[in-house]
Amino acid sequence: MPTDDQHSYMPQLLTQYRGGRINRREFLRTATLLGASAAAAYGMAGAIDGIVTPAFAQETAPEAKPKGGTLRLETTVYDVKSPAIANTTAHPWIYSQVVEYLTVIGSDNVTRPHLLESWQPSDDLKTWTLRLRPGVKWHSGRDFTVDDVIWNLTRLLSDDVGSSMLGLMKGYMLNEVDTGQTDENGQPVIGHELWSPDAIERVDDQTVRLNLKEPQLAIPEHLNHYQAVMLDPDQGGTFDVGSNGTGAFTLVEIEPGRRAVIEAVSDYWGEGPYLDRVEFIDLGGGDQAILNALISGQVHGAFQVQPEFSSMLEQQKHLTLHDVTTADTAISRMNVKQKPFDDPRVRKAFRLAIDPVKASAVTFGPFATPAEHHHVAPIHPEYAKLPEWKQDIGAARALLAEAGHGDGLEVELVIQKDPAHHLRNATAIQEMLKEAGVTCNINVMPNAQYWDVWTTVPFGSTVWAHRPLAVINLGLAYRSGGAWNESGYANPEFDRLLTEAEAMPDPEVRRGKMAEIEALLQEDGPIVQTYWRKLLTFYDSRVMGFEMHPTYALFANKLALGA
Amino acid sequence: MARIVLNRLGQFAFILLIASFLLFAVTEFSPGNVASKILGPYALESQVRSLSDRLGLDDPLFTRYLRWLGMLVGLVPNELGGPATGLGLSDPRGAQYFGNFGFSLMQGRPIVDVLADRFGHTVTLTVWAIGLTVPISLVLGVLAGMTEGSALDRIISVTTVSLTSLPEFVVAVLLIFVFAASLGWLPGTSPLDPGDRWSVGSQLVLPVAVLVIASSAYVTRIVRSSVVDTLAQPFVRTARLKGLAPMRVAMLHVLRNAMIAPVTVILLQINWILTGVVVVEAIFAYPGIGRLMLEAALFGDIYLIQALTLIALSVAVTTQFLGDLAYVLLDPRIRVA
Repeated sequence: MPTDDQHSYMPQLLTQYRGGRINRREFLRTATLLGASAAAAYGMAGAIDGIVTPAFAQETAPEAKPKGGTLRLETTVYDVKSPAIANTTAHPWIYSQVVEYLTVIGSDNVTRPHLLESWQPSDDLKTWTLRLRPGVKWHSGRDFTVDDVIWNLTRLLSDDVGSSMLGLMKGYMLNEVDTGQTDENGQPVIGHELWSPDAIERVDDQTVRLNLKEPQLAIPEHLNHYQAVMLDPDQGGTFDVGSNGTGAFTLVEIEPGRRAVIEAVSDYWGEGPYLDRVEFIDLGGGDQAILNALISGQVHGAFQVQPEFSSMLEQQKHLTLHDVTTADTAISRMNVKQKPFDDPRVRKAFRLAIDPVKASAVTFGPFATPAEHHHVAPIHPEYAKLPEWKQDIGAARALLAEAGHGDGLEVELVIQKDPAHHLRNATAIQEMLKEAGVTCNINVMPNAQYWDVWTTVPFGSTVWAHRPLAVINLGLAYRSGGAWNESGYANPEFDRLLTEAEAMPDPEVRRGKMAEIEALLQEDGPIVQTYWRKLLTFYDSRVMGFEMHPTYALFANKLALGA
Repeated sequence: MARIVLNRLGQFAFILLIASFLLFAVTEFSPGNVASKILGPYALESQVRSLSDRLGLDDPLFTRYLRWLGMLVGLVPNELGGPATGLGLSDPRGAQYFGNFGFSLMQGRPIVDVLADRFGHTVTLTVWAIGLTVPISLVLGVLAGMTEGSALDRIISVTTVSLTSLPEFVVAVLLIFVFAASLGWLPGTSPLDPGDRWSVGSQLVLPVAVLVIASSAYVTRIVRSSVVDTLAQPFVRTARLKGLAPMRVAMLHVLRNAMIAPVTVILLQINWILTGVVVVEAIFAYPGIGRLMLEAALFGDIYLIQALTLIALSVAVTTQFLGDLAYVLLDPRIRVA
């Protein structure tokens, strides 16, 4: 039953779910985004559908987990001195056990308050009131305060810090300013500042308010961006052995490229920890080495395992497979500022030449589902089902001929070297394009080098991580001037539709808008997209409390080691 | 002798100086910049520019080179260790000391510390591998050479030729399959991290075995060939005709003269294992110099690449120098010349 402090849209949301107009996932997602706690959302859903679900799938009864022991996990051990510039999902495996996020996204793709007790958006989604969880203390004994939150958010949005939070939030939190400097090409260097002095507003000792320039639905998700951990201001934004934190562990040792060790603290405010110690072992990221270490029992679990090794590891009796369906994907994006992709007919012809079902099967077998060339996944709450995408070589050839490429076309697809599935996917695309008269040469680059050219090559395959809402990726990747708009796509109609969708808390209405967006991307967009992948890993069967997370997140405080 | 040593040391310093500058120049043309790699692909241009300024990456090539050289010899302080970079870099030795290679931007640590850890591991691997390779190769090579054309010679020759033609990664995968995956006698990786099941010693067995197999097959063939050549020399025939026992002929006359060529090969093997065992270290996740070099190259960690290259060059020049000295000791004609 809705209460006074609930968002005004909540009664309508309940009616929609009761009437079957939105599904359970959409209800849970939207209810929590609108400020309901996960437990309350699950409870309201259960009252309607009768399904009893634990509020957080990773939570088993604490009393069922034994205490003590050392867990050894494989992951790349990066230098994590500056969490604000961490640039892989492996970085927070270590620091997020010590310093924590304001919100947390569970393996069920539902966002919950963490260091926050609750959030409350305004009806227009332009004001978000964040209330801190009372009683949370730093390891040093000092209270975690609203001033800590303000210091961290302000710092993350500074140009000098270099955090990708700036790109993520700049559309609604920042204004661009001319720094007065020019680059080597004589172009002005653009900096950023908060769009209003009250953009991050201190309300009281327990409350901070974000006042946005534009409506934004995904604030709780953005607060769980992997760089957005709360650091102790007294330590100047750096993180190292012994750093102060609010988490269940403290860092006692780190040697990047080799190993890191965390040990449990005694008075954690949340669940656990059950383990005494977790050791992170760096095996150089080699798939073969990870396989060997799992088989030999040198590690209890791995960051991830590539699907091609799954069948071999499934034969090991001491290991258990963990997988999760995600919105993790690679898109073969065409840069619309460069020929021949400046012509929408060429872009559509490329999509028509591709059969995502076959390409997905070639790339991942059973560990992926086909995509539909619009970067909205079936697991996204706002996903709208369009008519099934059909490969049509004849139509592709006709469009290419119309665009002046009747005699054929030669392009280069730039991909990353690792993992090997990038090449499998590129080869599938290459073979299908050949049927439409396109010669596609594949240029395989070391991963680090690819990120030097990802926004400039005419045709490149870029990995996009899972994000819980489709509008997050769409805004970053395809909005005109978007922070990570690698294709240079600029379509006012798309921008308008997306802005409208982002301001719609009603999932049913939003889904209608998303259908328009998806159709527009299929017709005019800059991408070929063939799959949504599952992420998988293997853990020792004695490890309790682990579930594969769609963004690889690790909750070490919930893990235990059984006999 | 002193003249030879001084001459070689002079060449050594000159080679290192030229190589270090060439490396700076080459990396100037490599794609991307370190600031964008540190911040990752999603940083905005304004953020990359800000960090580049703080790291001094936009200074002219020669300015950066001289700064690095001055830092290495302790004349110029390393300014990246201050709070201004915002990267949390610090060096307990201070900002200015001889041998200061700077910071590894990939690992966020002083390069001296990174090298100390990794180089120690690779030296361990090298000592074990060479310590086993030399006696095995000498025994097998001399046995095969002394019994040229016999069944024993054929068995040794066929085996060593076969092993020489097998790439290291094939040998590594075969050994892992048999001893780790199938029999479960040994660990499949070697992070040198003592777990509750596999000791650090047990983690050394397979990588050392791969190196010993690869090296000893090759060195055995060289020793055999050299022994066969030496046996055909007139002084050996004379020794035999004098009635010396075969063992005495082998030990006193053949072995010493047959060792000149194998010494070079063994020293090259040391050089290779110390600086070039990327494949073995990658397969076994062994935390040594080879793996570090690969990671640094992929990241574009210029200061670390620079340090590793200088070390590789130093090892190459030193082993060459030791080879020259060994020639002098083994062959009096060189001394006289």
